[in-house]
Amino acid sequence: MADIDLLKGLAPEDAERVLALGKRATVSAGAELFHLGDAADNIYVVARGRLRLTLPMQVRSHEEDILVEERSSGQTVGWSALIPPYRFTLTASAPLETEVIAFSREALTGYFAAHPDTGYALTLNLSCVIGHRLQLFQAMWLREIQRMVEMRCA
Amino acid sequence: MEMLLMGACLSVFGLAVCCLAFGAATRDSEYAAAAAPAAEKELTKAAASPARFFVGPPVLPMAARTRVPIEALLLQIENHVRLEHAAAECFLESPNASLLHSRTMSTLVN
Repeated sequence: MADIDLLKGLAPEDAERVLALGKRATVSAGAELFHLGDAADNIYVVARGRLRLTLPMQVRSHEEDILVEERSSGQTVGWSALIPPYRFTLTASAPLETEVIAFSREALTGYFAAHPDTGYALTLNLSCVIGHRLQLFQAMWLREIQRMVEMRCA
Repeated sequence: MEMLLMGACLSVFGLAVCCLAFGAATRDSEYAAAAAPAAEKELTKAAASPARFFVGPPVLPMAARTRVPIEALLLQIENHVRLEHAAAECFLESPNASLLHSRTMSTLVN
C-alpha cells in the first residue's frame, strides 16, 4: 500500500478506505485494458504486473502501436478519467498477466466530496503523477527537436 | 599492246582493291554506329562503379542496407523510447542543459 503513488501521505486507515472503493480486475497477457479514444470512466492502479502505454504510429505504411511509457506495480494510469473530456489518450495493454485496481470517477469524486482532506491529498498525488509525465515528455520532446535542428544544420 | 593490256589489268585490279576497301570502310562505320549505344552504356556503368584494384566485400545499395525488417525497426524504436525516457528521467533528477542534451546511444538516430 505504501508503494501506491496515488495513496502517498495518506494515513493507513484513509488509504484502506480509498482502496475499498476500487475493484480488482485481471488483464490477461496481450489483452488491452483500454484503447485510445475510449470513454475514460476509471482510473487504475497497477497492483501486479505491468502495463504498456502505446500510441499509434505509421511505420512503412502500417499502423503500429509504439511504446510511449510503461507502468508497473504501484503506479497509476488512466487519469483521463478525472479530466474532461474523459477520453483515454493512449492505449494500455498488458504484456503479461496484470492485476489492476479500478476506481470509478463517480466513486472517487463522491468520496472526495465527503472527505475533502483525503480528496486534497489524492489530488496532490495525482498532480504529481501528471506533472511528472508532463516534465518527462517535455524533456523528451525537446531532445527530439534538438536532433532535428542538428540534422537541419548539418 | 602488251603494255596497254597490263595497264588495263592493273587499273581493274586497283579499282577492285578500292571497291573492297570502300566496302570494308563503310561496313565498319555501320557496325560502330550500331554498337555505339551499347558501348556508351558500358562506359557509363564503368564510370559509375568505383575502381576495384583491391576489391572489397560487395557494397549493397543504400536502400537495401536501410531496409531492416519491420520487427527490428520496431525494436529499435522501442529501445529509442526507453533510452530517451531514461535520459529525460536523469534530466528531471538534476535539471541542467548538458543532461537535457546528453548524447544517446540509440541505433535509431546514430
